[in-house]
Amino acid sequence: MRTLSALLLLLLPGLLGAQETVAPTTGVSTLSPRGENTGDYNVVQSWEFGYRFASVGGDGGKYRADINYGNGIRLLSSDLTVNSRDGHGHWFDEIVLTTQGLGNDPYESATLRIQKNRWYRYDLLWRTNDYFNPGLTVADGEHLQDTTFRWQDHDVTLFPQSWIRANAGYSRNTQVGPALTTEQEFDSQSDVFPVFRNMREEYDEYRTGVDIVRRSFRFSILHRWEYFKDVTSDTLTTSEPGGSDDPSKVNSFNRTQPYRGRTPGWLATIYDEHKWIAMNGRITYAGGRGNFIQNESALGLSRFGTGQDVQVVVSGNGDRPVIAGDLNLTLTPARRLSFTNNTSVSDTRISGDNQFEQLNNATLSAQALNFQFLGLLLITNSTDIHYRFSKKFDAFAGYRYSDRQVRSIEAALGPGPVFNTTASQSNQLRAGVAGFSWIPLPDLRVHVEGEVGRNDHPFAPISVGDYHVIRSRIQYRKKAYTFGGGYSENYNNNSIVITAYSSRSRNYDANASWNAKSWLLLDASYSKLHLDTIGGIAFFAGAPAALFNQQSVFISNIHAANLGLRFPITSRADFYAGYNITKDTGDGRASAAQNAATPVQTLFSGVQTFPLTYQTPLVRISLKITGKLRYDVGYQYYGYHEDFGLLGTNQSYRAHTGYTSLLWYF
Amino acid sequence: MRIVWTALLLPMLLVGQAASQTNQFVGSEVCKTCHPNVWLNFYKNAHYKTIASGKQIPAQTGCEGCHGPGGNHVAAKGGKATIKSFSALTPTEALDTCIGCHSRDISKSNIRRSAHTEADVVCTNCHSIHQPATPKFLLTKNQTELCYSCHASVRAAFEMPSKHRVNEGVVKCSDCHNPHGSSAVPNRMASSSAMLQPAFDTEEPCLKCHQDKRGPFVFEHASVRVEGCEACHVPHGTMNAKLLRRPVVFTMCLECHNGAGTFGRENAGVFRLDTGHNLLDPKYQHCTVCHVRIHGSNADPTFLR
Repeated sequence: MRTLSALLLLLLPGLLGAQETVAPTTGVSTLSPRGENTGDYNVVQSWEFGYRFASVGGDGGKYRADINYGNGIRLLSSDLTVNSRDGHGHWFDEIVLTTQGLGNDPYESATLRIQKNRWYRYDLLWRTNDYFNPGLTVADGEHLQDTTFRWQDHDVTLFPQSWIRANAGYSRNTQVGPALTTEQEFDSQSDVFPVFRNMREEYDEYRTGVDIVRRSFRFSILHRWEYFKDVTSDTLTTSEPGGSDDPSKVNSFNRTQPYRGRTPGWLATIYDEHKWIAMNGRITYAGGRGNFIQNESALGLSRFGTGQDVQVVVSGNGDRPVIAGDLNLTLTPARRLSFTNNTSVSDTRISGDNQFEQLNNATLSAQALNFQFLGLLLITNSTDIHYRFSKKFDAFAGYRYSDRQVRSIEAALGPGPVFNTTASQSNQLRAGVAGFSWIPLPDLRVHVEGEVGRNDHPFAPISVGDYHVIRSRIQYRKKAYTFGGGYSENYNNNSIVITAYSSRSRNYDANASWNAKSWLLLDASYSKLHLDTIGGIAFFAGAPAALFNQQSVFISNIHAANLGLRFPITSRADFYAGYNITKDTGDGRASAAQNAATPVQTLFSGVQTFPLTYQTPLVRISLKITGKLRYDVGYQYYGYHEDFGLLGTNQSYRAHTGYTSLLWYF
Repeated sequence: MRIVWTALLLPMLLVGQAASQTNQFVGSEVCKTCHPNVWLNFYKNAHYKTIASGKQIPAQTGCEGCHGPGGNHVAAKGGKATIKSFSALTPTEALDTCIGCHSRDISKSNIRRSAHTEADVVCTNCHSIHQPATPKFLLTKNQTELCYSCHASVRAAFEMPSKHRVNEGVVKCSDCHNPHGSSAVPNRMASSSAMLQPAFDTEEPCLKCHQDKRGPFVFEHASVRVEGCEACHVPHGTMNAKLLRRPVVFTMCLECHNGAGTFGRENAGVFRLDTGHNLLDPKYQHCTVCHVRIHGSNADPTFLR
């Protein structure tokens, strides 16, 4: 007990807990789990209607990119469950409906399950996400997006408890809305122009399958058809001049680029299990294909001031058949001992062709047929041995092997010389893993594992080369409270003779929660995430000669802390307070340009660490009006502060948000 | 009151004494005599359907479907030693009990080789059959809180300014991960799988939602296909816009495009910037302003259109 008290004292100063959004209201003390009986059914429900408000100062675009809550009336949340009391309902035995944010919150969702025992089960998942991002730091604000993602998944299972059951499903995802993009015309050295984009992407998937169970043997087969459609169009309605030192100008621009993709696929799995052996296998095939056409026209002036009239037409298709298979075996020769082996094979081939035609000023004509092939063949095998020394201690060790082959053909056929480059690269990765789990005291669990590996031929400078990973976790869990902590590190070194690349991350975390009653909660956590990366780079900056053997050093030290505290003020009022702060202290410097003697040093110095503070405190009070009605009110502050900004921008903002609502429940 | 209890329990005790040698099944109706709190709302539990069907064998029905025959338990007047109590089982034993019925789902077919199982995190660590917080999947907490309770550094990532909207409730951990273990994702080599659930059973999970990045493209950005989206993005959350690994784009691009030998498709290095790209000119500090089709293009090998 003394140890526990010491741990508690150690963690409490931070008082850090699970942060949540201020609305909908969660965890109030008097919500009844038993509901009311109506005929042969029991009904439990809650409906929370309210008004959400937000007031933003500073960079509103960044606020919308990070948070995006606005003003308006909402059905903040709802829950409905209907259960037949004897499991023999006429049309259904269970309905579970949950919603969140309906009525124009940027994040809306609904789930529905309806099922009748032995006959059917239907699941719906519907979600929408309003996405806004000005892309200020990554595209100078010229790639702004204001779109809506919408997902819906429908799944039906017939005879779910039978030895043979049938499945069918449908999914539809869409992204629509206005956006900006940029276009570089006439010359690869000329200025770029912002272009309005009307985004419209649609994805539909149909699937059907059968599961068969005979004794311990299970077999499943699934067939699916996927269709993707992108009919985004880009237009420029007004004349757009280039920069001050660039006389290039676009007077009109129009582009349509419809894309149609379709992917029929199959998935078959088998599973069998006996006393000393379990096995499962999978084979899947997806034959991806996309057809595209692009029609683009632009009128304007080149960077040399000459008139330009460019028409570009591209058409063609791409194919990407993928076949993959897995075979897993688990052997249990003795009660304490098990072996697991997995073999996976995956083959992806991407090929295609396109017809590219560019007509410039009706005087110059260029035509090229380009073709590329990219093939990836990956074979992996892993074997693990697991031994349980006692009920309180077990350990495992394993060996992993991967062989990946990357093949490519790059070619171009046009008025100029023909080139055709065939390349093949293979790399093997070998790794060892080991770990143990230990229960030194009742309810106290310790887990440590590590992995050491070497890739003999990394594909990219940032790829995994020589690496090791350590993960450890300790947790003390009782019914009412939990204490935990963890440490993990991931070191990767991919340095070669010419250049260096190393990445080192170390994470530390501690968490505590006390949940004596459903309405009484203290939850706290702290994490420190450290990352330092050194990359060898080469570039041009001002001088005509390249700067070789330069280094990009990025350092991040993020401290993240949370608090959640919920308790009843009176028998009729619940109080919740939360605090979250995420602070990147960077490399500890006080100003952006550190020891910057040259313009190049100034440029790199200012972007290789990004100190900022992001905090979101909240309070919420929930008052019981009657046995079935509550009044809720809450406030949440969002503060985002960049210490230096990036490339001359500073996106700091602060926002006051909140809500008030009525919660009806029984 | 004591007389009433005795009258209720006596027939069961007699049955239990007779069955003590073979530990027979007694049926769920007997269990509710001593465990009324468990039974009270059990009709709302997904496992109640085994009772409602009336067609399952005793070993797969109701309480004894999971806890084993209760004859000895009744005869002994309770006690954990006479019944299969999950709190006393080893992780493997708990897994074996659940997987006996639940292995039929494709999503759970890899559970025996999952990282969770390897770390002794099994069914009862995340699911509560009798006191679930969620009616679907019978989780001990809502999914996000449940995952955060062990993965604190992941929670920290989702509380950064740029993140997938998990805390806001529109994205869930299980959209990308399969906590029961998953098949290999093709671009993952032997290093930890993170239990990613492949999109379309064969590809990066990101492509489930970001289908416009899927292609196939005539001109693929090879690192996207070979190393995956994580070559440039941090999927959980970052301090940087667009979930990027670096606060500005050009430093990230330069880390690969440095011309250092042996890398890339041709084993001759990933090409570096040409002389036209003066990084001191602000126009060249935002690489993707010109290279707009950085995920892949059907019209330009350098992703300009």
